[in-house]
Amino acid sequence: MAAAAMIVLSLAGGRAAWTQDRGSRAETRPSSNPLEGNAQAISNGAAMFRTRCAGCHGPGARGYLGPDLTGFWAAGGTDDRMFAIVRRGVPGTDMIGADPQRVLDKDIWQTLAYIRTLSAVPTSPPTGDAANGERLFRTNCTGCHRVDGRGGQLGPDLSRIGAARPRAGLAGKIRGSADFIRTGYEPVTLVTKEGERIRGVKKNEDEFSIQIMDARERLQGYLKTNLLEFTSDKQSLMPAYGADRLNDRDLDDLLRYLTSLRGTDSGQR
Amino acid sequence: MRAVTGRLLHAALVAAAISSAVAAQQPGGQVTAQALRDGLKDPSRWLTYGGDYANHRHSPLTQITPANVHRLVPQWQFQTDTLGKFEAAPLVLDGVVYVTGPLDTGWALDARSGRQIWRYKRDLPSGLIACCGLVNRGFGVLGDRLFKTTLDAHVVAISRKTGAIEWDAAMENFRHGYSGTTAPLVVKDKVIVGIAGAEYGIRGFIDAYDAASGKRVWRFYTTAGPDDPGNRTWRGTDPKAWEHGGGSIWVPGAYDPELNLVYWGTGNAGPDYSGNEREGDNLYTASLVALDADTGELRWHYQFTPHDIWDYDSTQMPILADLTLGGEARKAVLFANRNGFFYVLDRATGKLIRAKPFINTTWAKEIRADGRPMFQPNSVPSEDGTKVCPDQSGGTNWMPPSFDPSLGLLFVTARESCGIFFSWKDDYTPGEAFRGGAVQRLGEGQFSALRAIDVATGERRWEFPYSSQSWAGVLSTASGLVFAGGSGNVMAFDAKTGKNLWHFQTGSSLYAGAITYMVDGRQYVLMPSGTTLTAFALAEF
Repeated sequence: MAAAAMIVLSLAGGRAAWTQDRGSRAETRPSSNPLEGNAQAISNGAAMFRTRCAGCHGPGARGYLGPDLTGFWAAGGTDDRMFAIVRRGVPGTDMIGADPQRVLDKDIWQTLAYIRTLSAVPTSPPTGDAANGERLFRTNCTGCHRVDGRGGQLGPDLSRIGAARPRAGLAGKIRGSADFIRTGYEPVTLVTKEGERIRGVKKNEDEFSIQIMDARERLQGYLKTNLLEFTSDKQSLMPAYGADRLNDRDLDDLLRYLTSLRGTDSGQR
Repeated sequence: MRAVTGRLLHAALVAAAISSAVAAQQPGGQVTAQALRDGLKDPSRWLTYGGDYANHRHSPLTQITPANVHRLVPQWQFQTDTLGKFEAAPLVLDGVVYVTGPLDTGWALDARSGRQIWRYKRDLPSGLIACCGLVNRGFGVLGDRLFKTTLDAHVVAISRKTGAIEWDAAMENFRHGYSGTTAPLVVKDKVIVGIAGAEYGIRGFIDAYDAASGKRVWRFYTTAGPDDPGNRTWRGTDPKAWEHGGGSIWVPGAYDPELNLVYWGTGNAGPDYSGNEREGDNLYTASLVALDADTGELRWHYQFTPHDIWDYDSTQMPILADLTLGGEARKAVLFANRNGFFYVLDRATGKLIRAKPFINTTWAKEIRADGRPMFQPNSVPSEDGTKVCPDQSGGTNWMPPSFDPSLGLLFVTARESCGIFFSWKDDYTPGEAFRGGAVQRLGEGQFSALRAIDVATGERRWEFPYSSQSWAGVLSTASGLVFAGGSGNVMAFDAKTGKNLWHFQTGSSLYAGAITYMVDGRQYVLMPSGTTLTAFALAEF
């Protein structure tokens, strides 16, 4: 605790704004977390997270009553932005602001330092040839996936996928062994009264209607009374790239490329 | 003294003259204590959260029927200018709708057109601490006054005619995590309310305030203090566990005028998932308490979930029903509980008549004849996580069910779910979250459905599965209709078969139940969704 306080004071240069004000003003607040990577801060932050945040955000910050925080930085969020959300809250929701009387700035930075460790970032040294990986991506993936504005939109945008998912998770998805499908991309097959068979990804549904993007990226809604059948498919629209389609070395290259994708500042998901 | 007496007498005479003149103007008459007892006998009105003191939410109106409900169309909408959502049951009397909204707002609206007559908004302090939505579940009414609880733990009386404040009583200190969201239950001359905040280590209570003056008449603590024999059920390493032991109140109770008892479901014990510091049954959390309406004294209690460690708040609406069971007439209270069991209790004595699960449960599969659950092994929240069904949001929640006495069916918005329950040690600090753990919901196999339960047997008669989680309350009518919904759709069902007969997509999620009323010879169904109220009636072409 003392070590963390020393770091905070030294960074602030002993300015009055840090030592006297319980809540710093935006113009005096550091824009990036001064306690990132600090072991003591992370440990304290873990306890604070469990008592103040986990009740809504879940024990691993993956979301519960409140949103999943583990993809926050991958989606373009900054330390400054998250600090502001915690300090000010989100009006009209259960995310109440943190009263400076009770929650000090350093409490927030410590908690953020801990949450940062929950974000999926690979730790082993990278292998594979990213340039070949990019070639493989352009050949096999851009029909459905977009990176930095180039590619299809049937599947998720992958511009920040390297910061959002661990390497092992990406490998599982490519090989077809991962069964997780992101919301908004669940595959469905519809058969209309005219007998037309449509495959697509589900964007929304209620008891009487279903809204999809079809394989040609056309958006459309259907009333269920106008459909002969609609089924949620087990098989993802994304093909499985087994070792016969993509050997291990090529997979390695592709993963090297994907894990390098940390996004631009466009703020797009 | 003589001058004061003279003035008082004069004031009393003037008041009597005004009230009789007013009574002559109002078509339905003043909302008196008797009018509240009459409940839905005048079905043009809806005077309490549950429709009447028995909480059936079952209207005698029959203009809308299973045969014509497909002609139901929107007549008007009212939209608030707030963030948040409606969880309230609107009240209707004499052509005016009275409804509370999020962030302690409230409105009087023309029941014919939805147009605002007046608006109320409380000036809330900063630093509010309230779990689970800055919402409110409705007004209470008596005479020319409306009553509501507030997020900063007050109870207020406002003028029914103008929305102006008439009295304001503090229930507790909101900075310590206390908040008010329940609709009041007005009984005789008292406004009965309860406090919430069990996620913040409060000590819960039910209060009665004098409707005229706002003075507190009685308080019943839902965690037993040292002067209560129930205090023995708070053992464990924290000797003060009962002081921050929870027992929130979220929705109004029921009232039996003959027995003069109010019945109230109490909330979870705190900290929610960690029970070592509070070993014992933890009375009177997760219970149904029957209190003398005049004094607040406890007549009996029945605990649904002794030593609750799953956040199984018993903050559901109790329903009073006179049933014939096994050839015998029984005065019963029905309770579809968050813990997944549907209970029928004797409402004079609190004895268990029957309990049967209405969803898949793993924490207990049976309730014994003596009323205690048979706890299943491997159900205790742990550091590494323990799978339990239902998850902490339970088999049902705050959303009110409905009871059709002619069919003997209870209609409830039910949830099938499981969660991984984690627990750890939390230290109590006033105003800070005090949950002792968290729950990771398991999406696989989770769904919600409208279920009809035969109250005599506990068997499920029918169900309608929704395509996503529903938090909608339920309304039923004497023509054999059930109004509920999910995914933003308000839906009408045949009460006997569960067949869906009509729906309308309101565009926002449903967090409250519909009500129904009559004005100008037309029956309206009023449904809150998101920050919108939509009024439906039969198309007149």
